[in-house]
Amino acid sequence: MTPFELVEPHTLREAAGLLASAEVRPLAGGTAVMLMMKMGVLRPARLVSLRAVEKRYSEIAAAGGELRIGALATLSALERSPLVARAAPVIAQTLRMLANVRVRNVATVGGHLAHADPHMDLPPVLIALGARVSIIDPAGGRTLPLGELYTGYLETTLGRNELVAEVTVPAQGSRRAAYLKCTTRSADDWPALGVAVVLEADGALVRDARVVISAATDTPTRLAAAENALRGARVDEAVLRRAGDAAASEAAVIGDQHGSAAYKRELLRVCLARAVRAVLDEQ
Amino acid sequence: MTIGGEDLKTAQTGTVGRSIPRLEAAAKVAGRAEYVHNLQLPGMLHGKIFRSPIAHGRIKRVDVSAARAVAGVHRVVTGEDVRAIVADPHYGPAFHDQPILAFEKVRYAGEPVAVVLASDPHAAEEAAQLIDVQYEALPAVFDEVEAMTSKAVVHEVLRPAGAFPDLRHLQGRKNTNVALDFHLRRGDAGGAFSRADRVFEHTFHTQQVLHVPLEPFVSAAEPGEGSVTIHTASKSPSFVRVEVARLLGWPENRVRVKVPYLGGGFGAKLYIKLEALVTVLALLTRRPVKIALTMEEQFYTLTRHAASLRIKSGVTKEGRITARECEVWWNGGAYADIGPRVTQKSGFTAPGPYDIENVSIDSYALYTNLPPAGALRGFGIPQLVWAYESHTDMIARELAMDPVEFRRRNILRDGRPQATGTVMKDAAIEKVLERLAARMEWKKPFERGSGTRRRGRGIAIGFKASISPTTSVAIVNLYADGSCALYCSTVDMGQGSDTAMAQIAAEVLGIPVEAITVVHPDTDVTPYDMATLGSRSTYHMGNAVRRAAEDARDKLLAAAREAGLPAETTPIAEVFRRKYGMQAGNIVGTGSFIPAYTPTDHDTGQSPNVTPFWMVGGTGAEVEVDTETGRVRVTRLVNVADVGKPVNPRIVETQLSGAAVMQLGFTLFEKMQFDGGQVTNASLAEYKIPGMRDIPVMENEAVDGAERGGPFGAKGVGETGTFSVSPAIANAIEDAVGVRLMSLPLTPEAVYRALRAKQGKPLDD
Amino acid sequence: MLGALTKDLGVAVRTIRFKLNGEPVSAEVPPHWNLVELLQNRFGLTGARESCGQGLCGCCTVLVDGAAVSGCLYLALLVDGAEVMTIEHQAAGGGLDAVQKAFIEAGAFQCGFCTPGFVLMTRQLLDENPDPTEDDIRHYLSGNLCRCGAYPEIIEAVKLAARMRKAER
Repeated sequence: MTPFELVEPHTLREAAGLLASAEVRPLAGGTAVMLMMKMGVLRPARLVSLRAVEKRYSEIAAAGGELRIGALATLSALERSPLVARAAPVIAQTLRMLANVRVRNVATVGGHLAHADPHMDLPPVLIALGARVSIIDPAGGRTLPLGELYTGYLETTLGRNELVAEVTVPAQGSRRAAYLKCTTRSADDWPALGVAVVLEADGALVRDARVVISAATDTPTRLAAAENALRGARVDEAVLRRAGDAAASEAAVIGDQHGSAAYKRELLRVCLARAVRAVLDEQ
Repeated sequence: MTIGGEDLKTAQTGTVGRSIPRLEAAAKVAGRAEYVHNLQLPGMLHGKIFRSPIAHGRIKRVDVSAARAVAGVHRVVTGEDVRAIVADPHYGPAFHDQPILAFEKVRYAGEPVAVVLASDPHAAEEAAQLIDVQYEALPAVFDEVEAMTSKAVVHEVLRPAGAFPDLRHLQGRKNTNVALDFHLRRGDAGGAFSRADRVFEHTFHTQQVLHVPLEPFVSAAEPGEGSVTIHTASKSPSFVRVEVARLLGWPENRVRVKVPYLGGGFGAKLYIKLEALVTVLALLTRRPVKIALTMEEQFYTLTRHAASLRIKSGVTKEGRITARECEVWWNGGAYADIGPRVTQKSGFTAPGPYDIENVSIDSYALYTNLPPAGALRGFGIPQLVWAYESHTDMIARELAMDPVEFRRRNILRDGRPQATGTVMKDAAIEKVLERLAARMEWKKPFERGSGTRRRGRGIAIGFKASISPTTSVAIVNLYADGSCALYCSTVDMGQGSDTAMAQIAAEVLGIPVEAITVVHPDTDVTPYDMATLGSRSTYHMGNAVRRAAEDARDKLLAAAREAGLPAETTPIAEVFRRKYGMQAGNIVGTGSFIPAYTPTDHDTGQSPNVTPFWMVGGTGAEVEVDTETGRVRVTRLVNVADVGKPVNPRIVETQLSGAAVMQLGFTLFEKMQFDGGQVTNASLAEYKIPGMRDIPVMENEAVDGAERGGPFGAKGVGETGTFSVSPAIANAIEDAVGVRLMSLPLTPEAVYRALRAKQGKPLDD
Repeated sequence: MLGALTKDLGVAVRTIRFKLNGEPVSAEVPPHWNLVELLQNRFGLTGARESCGQGLCGCCTVLVDGAAVSGCLYLALLVDGAEVMTIEHQAAGGGLDAVQKAFIEAGAFQCGFCTPGFVLMTRQLLDENPDPTEDDIRHYLSGNLCRCGAYPEIIEAVKLAARMRKAER
């Protein structure tokens, strides 16, 4: 690692204002930033620590049927939050398998979302739940559906001086959800495929469906054709097969050391069906 | 039972045979155990290595000017600088083929080319990225079978080290990548095949894997006045001293090598790794120099051999194996390291623990343009057992015989000659097989699962000859108050050797183990030991320690008799007081041990005595296969072994299970990936090793055995648990879902593809 | 060493103050040091070690304000004002605690390089969950690697430590 200057502004907006050049990077929990600096792929002249900004950006609140999660809340704060457990139990379930305890103690929700590594576990889950992300810049800000944040591998629509400020997640309510993390090497490996499914269903009859996959594609990807195959259908093996076929043909699956693209497409068929069954069985 | 006329002393009141905690247990749980990793020396420089990005090429130009200009950089050292101190800077245990830093040529991607030295390791690292080297790329060879005939030749001329008679004929040989060919001929395999009822032939593959000690390679050197002290995480301090002295042209006594605890070894930290390099750097700069590799750099230092193994058997319709032919190609990478020994020693047992009249073995160590391969927990045996126990199971299935029964009919029993002609003794092969079958409840019906979860079970059994002939020397120093120091150069890398050696000495001396301090390897202080490898220490050093303790005991008894004291009842301190007139003096006992050995015949591989003892390990596996994803979950792993009489049963058990856990990773997912010779997964993020959620229910059993030549009936155990894990799991997979995998690792995709192929619907790429 | 570094690289070294194993301390720290380097270079504490360098193996585990972190991925400057606890911390009266004793009793280590991390993480686990199931143990400790493969013994040690802690209370 090479030396840099560390600054600690007291407001998030001020922090955004300091991100003027490519030589300056924000630092929240720092797990991903430290990894990239150690590898030499990131060599900032200045790091802007977000640790001293307003406390409200670390808070988790529930109101109006929504969870409001400050970008600087740690993943373990999310994991332990009774509000999260009540409003969106699938988030707490997902967190138990995300990275490890030490990473969760330090890494923040904002960093996790903004890093845009497609192997991250929360983006598919939050996108499937319909999360929106609020972004701050030196002058103002904007809010957009989380899915629209991602444009490619490690690439987002975030401008140089924009920071994730908050993520808003509609409570699950009557919706049921599951996230399947599929690893092909050790159990603690990055996923070869992540499948998040959120259903509104009466028994086996699916009224609405959201399907988002990760890890096997460059960005977390919503699978519209698979959702259509499920929506309005009474789920049986034939429906699951149709949804699986739709998913496998619409997703731009890429091969890597976790498995070939052909294999991951098969995995997608199987895991989608299993995730849907897991959701319906839970009812 | 007696050993050499003495009672086999394992009385319950004694120290040997008791599961006492490790001597260093408190230091380890408190984070106070000493490792070279922790070492800081006054004025120390840190070295960061610049490595070749290409697999094979001529070095045209090395430009270190930008690196030298970085603030804080003390010096940048290249291969040419090394030659100013060491005229011929090539080292290695079998061949003198590896340069301290590459010069003229690079032979693998990741080979050290230059080193930056700075007080601040960050500055050194920064500067190392600025080194500019131009190469003329040469054709490279990566596959071990292709290397047999490839036009790409890794070394212009072969340079055997001279210590091994079986390598002498390779001296000066050109235009070849074959670093050793081992041949064994017993009976007439060709004739037996033509007479056999059935002949089976299969080819198997294993992948490159890595040791991954959590303390990466680390060495430091301090220059002295015409001398050097090397602190190193090494399992072979004596070898390091001899080899560094040879390179420098110095007498041994000017090179001092010190080794504290090791944060894991598994075969990696052997012979010379960083030691010659830090020595040269310290002599060039007259400053202490430390090089601590990162986890990534371990991937460029030493791997386990990938291998291709062809095996062919002739069998009678009654299920007797009458002939076996094995051809093995070992991918040794760019430098031979100890690969030729892996090739030869594993060749001894390539046909497996079976009584086969007609055997033919050809085993080749090959140079390729990959990182060097060397010893890794099992010394080639896990690769061989993978092939012969998969093959054996496949034959049993073809013959519609129960796999346990088929093995029973062919098993090698004590008193029978093994493939090399050496007659088996104290090898509980049959007992291991029977205990395995009993523990697996082999005769009982087995729950086979349903739907997309199918269950199966498999067994496998393997054996290994110890490394021979090798020497161990020990010193026991009794102090005047009755406490005692044990000097031995066995390195405790976690296997518990300090504790075991202290138990052996305590047993002989009749003193509590707490009264003994084990002095860690320091070549100025502790005597010679060949190395801590190949599960040799308990047997070899254990015997040396036993002899040293007996020598001290005999001297103590003689002193007591001279003083007119009743020898058996007088406290040790009282004997000293009488002998020296006060609390003073020492009684020093020495012991050395080198077992008998007869080299194998060059043409036939025959010898009446290839090993002082045999290690036997069997594994039973129960698996659950997900037929929709190919994922294999090992639900139960049973390890049964012949370890002789355990010195410390608890530590022995953890050696068996720890070895099995490691081999489980090599079986299911560990694999070094290469692209044009460059490792593409050189980190623990992309090279996954087993974690807590990967571990099945494990059971371990040491069968009731005794090694007559071993100290108190003990023999080696460190590698035994690795032998049979891979084929046991592959056999269980076939039992579950009817597909046979011929290559490791047994990934979900490999299983899934095999399932699809079996259904006649192969998965496209 | 630090003098040379600051002079040569023009690095802004900062003085930070924090509590280390209960004692107030201060240290001059270059910005690019991680917590392991701080502990080793300034305080001679070597129980937290960098191994994988990626937060995956747990050898560098340190507690910052009561939470376990990977010292190799944690900037040293960020412990300014914090309470830092390492494996070297000794409870009042010294000696080994229940977790350490249980690790010895169960033979839950071989080479010992990963052991401080496992001990610290086990303490955290038992503080949060005094009676963990085997599944809880496997999940909580899945971010700690032991290449010697002492996992079965570690699981046994955690269960034993839980019992010993209960008996102590």
